[in-house]
Amino acid sequence: MKGVQVTKQKSDRPAQKEGPVADTNQYISRIVKNNLDVVVLATLAKKPMCGYDLIKDIFSKYNVFLSQGTVYPLLYVLREKGVLQVEFAKSDMRTKVYYITTDGEEFVREELNEFVTAVEVVMSLIEGGSDV
Amino acid sequence: MFRGSINGLDELLQDDIPKNSVVLVSGAEGTLKSSLVSNLISNYLIGNDEHGLYITLDEDKESLLKNMESVGIKKIDRLHIFDYKDIRLEWRFQEPDMIDVTSDVIDFYRKKYDKLTVVALDSLNALYSLTNQANLRRNIYHFFTMLKDKELTSFLIMEAGLSEGFVYANDYPGCSEYFLADGIIEVGIIEARENVKRYIQIRKMRATRHTMNKHQLIVDEDGLAILGSVY
Repeated sequence: MKGVQVTKQKSDRPAQKEGPVADTNQYISRIVKNNLDVVVLATLAKKPMCGYDLIKDIFSKYNVFLSQGTVYPLLYVLREKGVLQVEFAKSDMRTKVYYITTDGEEFVREELNEFVTAVEVVMSLIEGGSDV
Repeated sequence: MFRGSINGLDELLQDDIPKNSVVLVSGAEGTLKSSLVSNLISNYLIGNDEHGLYITLDEDKESLLKNMESVGIKKIDRLHIFDYKDIRLEWRFQEPDMIDVTSDVIDFYRKKYDKLTVVALDSLNALYSLTNQANLRRNIYHFFTMLKDKELTSFLIMEAGLSEGFVYANDYPGCSEYFLADGIIEVGIIEARENVKRYIQIRKMRATRHTMNKHQLIVDEDGLAILGSVY
């Protein structure tokens, strides 16, 4: 069996403001939703924010709208795990702002390395093919 | 078994509450609805390795835990509590449809815990007030169906608005829940001169033999307990 030939394409996605093309967006949506803990932690590593801003930020970056019913339970679980911590916003003492902890940064680094390695392995297997 | 989770409940139920049932727990304020449900689920979970989820729209988690402690209910780690305090605060200018959000919360915990089998919602009234009113009846039907499809035993708390007696369907815009529910547990207060008692009554429980008598409901040292018939 011949291996499937995959042509690496240069990204022809429109500029981020316009959003990715539909097919690519489906993949991005799947990747984001299946790796939500890493996406959330990586986003918070760049800038601490509250759940509301996090959902808006992920939407503007990935064009993926995440339900409040998914993001907030995840934030609570990640906080319980000690990879996030909370401080109240200076402007509004009721709003919780989530910060990544040192353990969280370590977790994100490891997970992103694993993710990139896994994608490279899958791509090399697809491109190389295998005889059965 | 649920019927063994509160002292005296086995006097009311001859069989256990069937798995995957949707049970309404109806009553006025101060009738121990939240305590009853949290007590039922906590003690049920002690006897197995399953997980439970208590979703509270009105109260925050800390307040619920304090109330549970005050009536002697032991909260175990496998009972997860989710409150809407942060969502309601941060999304107050563009509140999402809470039926959709609640479905997603349940999905999140089901993915995280394989053995999530029991869910409590406190309260249905709050859920309705935060849901698109145009399609309320249809949304209620889908919400109940969703709970059954996910194979969850669910306890849905409902404010009845009267200190005694059952508020029937027509009093409430989303009346179909009384017909859709597999079970209805009513809690209330009976006043006779100075003698004031809380009671519990199983009004309906499909596929289960049960008494319809009202029994006294009290707070004991280790949570709630059900005594003999009030009449």
